[in-house]
Amino acid sequence: MHIQDGVLSPVVCAATGAISLGAVSYSVHRLQQSVGDRTIPLTGMMAALVFAGQMVNFPIGAPVSGHLLGGVLAATVVGPWAGCVAMTLVLFVQWALFSDGGLFSLGTNVLHMAVIGAWGGHSVRMFVQRFFGDSRKGIVIGSVVAAWATVMAAAALFCLEFRLSWSPREIDFSKVFTLMVSFHSLIGLGEALITGVAISFVLNQRPELICRMGTPARPIEGTGRSVHPTATAITRTLAAGFVIALAIAAFLSPFASSFDDGLEAVLGKLGIENFNLTGNVPGLLEDYDKVPVPVAAWQSIAVSFAGIGGTLAVFALAWLLGKVLPAAPPQLSEAAGE
Amino acid sequence: MSESAVRVEHLSFRYPGGPDVLTDISFTIAPGEIIGLVGPSGAGKSTLLQHLNGLLPSKLPEFVGQVCIDNIPVARQTIAEVRRRVGFLFQDPDDQLFCPTVFEDVAFGPLNLGLSDDEVRQRVRDSLTSVGLADYEPRSTLRLSLGERKRVCLAGVFACQPSVLALDEPFSSLDPRARRKLIAILKQFSGSQIIATHDLDIVVDLCHQVLLLDGGQLRAAGQTRDILGNVALMERHGLEVPWRLRPK
Amino acid sequence: MSDFLDRFGRGQSMCHRWPPFVKLFAAVAMILAATCAPITHGPLVGIVACVIFFAHTLARIPLRYVGRRLLFFWPTLFLMAISLPLSQAGQKGWLLFVTILVRGTLSFSTALWLVNVMPFDQLLATLRRLRVPDVLLAILSLMYRFLFVLWDELDRMRTARSARLFRKPSLWETWRSAAHLVGRLLIRALDRADRIHGAMLARSWNGRTRWIEPRREDQR
Repeated sequence: MHIQDGVLSPVVCAATGAISLGAVSYSVHRLQQSVGDRTIPLTGMMAALVFAGQMVNFPIGAPVSGHLLGGVLAATVVGPWAGCVAMTLVLFVQWALFSDGGLFSLGTNVLHMAVIGAWGGHSVRMFVQRFFGDSRKGIVIGSVVAAWATVMAAAALFCLEFRLSWSPREIDFSKVFTLMVSFHSLIGLGEALITGVAISFVLNQRPELICRMGTPARPIEGTGRSVHPTATAITRTLAAGFVIALAIAAFLSPFASSFDDGLEAVLGKLGIENFNLTGNVPGLLEDYDKVPVPVAAWQSIAVSFAGIGGTLAVFALAWLLGKVLPAAPPQLSEAAGE
Repeated sequence: MSESAVRVEHLSFRYPGGPDVLTDISFTIAPGEIIGLVGPSGAGKSTLLQHLNGLLPSKLPEFVGQVCIDNIPVARQTIAEVRRRVGFLFQDPDDQLFCPTVFEDVAFGPLNLGLSDDEVRQRVRDSLTSVGLADYEPRSTLRLSLGERKRVCLAGVFACQPSVLALDEPFSSLDPRARRKLIAILKQFSGSQIIATHDLDIVVDLCHQVLLLDGGQLRAAGQTRDILGNVALMERHGLEVPWRLRPK
Repeated sequence: MSDFLDRFGRGQSMCHRWPPFVKLFAAVAMILAATCAPITHGPLVGIVACVIFFAHTLARIPLRYVGRRLLFFWPTLFLMAISLPLSQAGQKGWLLFVTILVRGTLSFSTALWLVNVMPFDQLLATLRRLRVPDVLLAILSLMYRFLFVLWDELDRMRTARSARLFRKPSLWETWRSAAHLVGRLLIRALDRADRIHGAMLARSWNGRTRWIEPRREDQR
């Protein structure tokens, strides 16, 4: 999921970075408003938890394994503002300790995983939760859908950014996007599953941890303020709609090459010139010109799978987890590891 | 009212919806006195300690009775003053060492008290010296042994210059050398102390008085040797008479 | 655990002794150069690569270490980059592929250099001087501190789990128990956050962070 330096053009990095900077600053601002002297230790621990939680491997096939991303989990437990800040710090520390993700693309990664993950995830969850009367089932289903939608939204954004980063005319991006989207729909499924199981586990064991922070506007005694003042319903619905629209757009992106001209025109009007690579690499690479890769045939299948199969799977998952949840007695889940 | 460092009167406490954790507890600690708080696990020792610096009532208003520190009653208005006077050593040093370096951690309390920069530096130096870790200031809190971490915690507490120390299981999991060092440090502290511990041999060594807590109630209070040497009493509350007090 | 992370961070080379700001700006400049230099201007890219290599040598970071990190780094970058020539089957695609690989590799090595000459607490102090908001820094330093505590906890829980695993679990079981591991870690972390909050209150915490530097003579 981490985008490295060099994958996107500096201008795109700067633009996404500016958006992230604004979003994170706003989160910090809201966080400061709502302090609660508990906010700092809680947010810090949440960030440490997401960081450590990403170390837990979820095997997929022999050498490949996935891991938690955590944006929705963080937002569910500590709210969107603290969640966004926590995720931002996770990404920063990952860069500073492991050089995961780049310095310039830090802003892009923050936009994808912290802003979309926590803000967007929170909005989607609250939106979905409304249909379940804020019950526990609603929390789980909401977070499953949110986890999946945020990953897909990030994928769509990535496609857009990638498209803007590289010279537009010569390259047909539809297959790149096919790869990206099918890849991300897998990641999204994993994220939805992990988030859902983890949250339902916590709801079973210690419901007060999530209900205390996760549902909106519980006043902290003595301060007269809320734990995390949530956005108004309209803003939230708008944000949820935006994330879901992005998630859906992810599936359309492979077919989006016909939009290219339109996009091009818009960019031209705005005066943004894309970075064009000039010159050619001599002969060396020409042999590869005709490499037969059966992507074309695969493309439609992959997208159909990603779109329809993935969506169905997520809703099935949400339904299943929601169904399993109230029935499970607190201690049933294996008590290993204590 | 006579001079007392800690006075607890008819303190009862429960978590919301739960059974009583503490029932009608009263005792006093004179200035400079060291009190051992003993009792089986789950007796309410930690809960009682946390009341001394108002950690619990600030979250849950479900307690009755009164706690006074240096004749100041613990209440919402006085909480800052009370916390300045009571130094609290937590059981797990990792909970208490939350800054990346030793200096920052020890300076945390004095900085919150609003002291000037130079005063803070002076206090950090003094309190680290008093726990025998004078040159540890720039060290990372991640790279310390358990004994060192406890002592840094204690330095952080000393830096606030409390008049009362409340220690929650200070000796657990320490090796003998680290334990001896800690005891020596505690013996030098001039204020009063209340030590919750399972290590009764140390209580015999260190404490003037003992409070025996079981099931949230104060079962016995008095001179250390009288209580810890009372075989019947100790066995009734699931404790053992320490070696030094066993009848030969 | 922390030793493993910034193994060379406590080294004493020339680069380590540079003022933190110099290191940070050197790294930013190198990454900027690496990501902006057009791939078709071979000499330019070569110069940037040489500078980065020279920086590594100055900091006495073993080449083997850099190589091993790159080995783990390349696959993901490769996956991202290969999609271009795959969909293009033309020279342009391969050019982009090479561009991404070169830029990624160069900026990754630079970041590696920075991580290794700049211990985390120095980075924190630098950020503080760059006027990053105090709340953010307080959260960041708390996070960094407890990262290692949580890692150790995670390790213990994993060991305990595998010690009681007598047969090979199915994929679903593995996933479920891994997700439960995350959940359990979450519960423990939140409980610890409560205790830390208590410990902060006990030392007169009022929600505001204040920070001073240690005495001059103690500074590295």
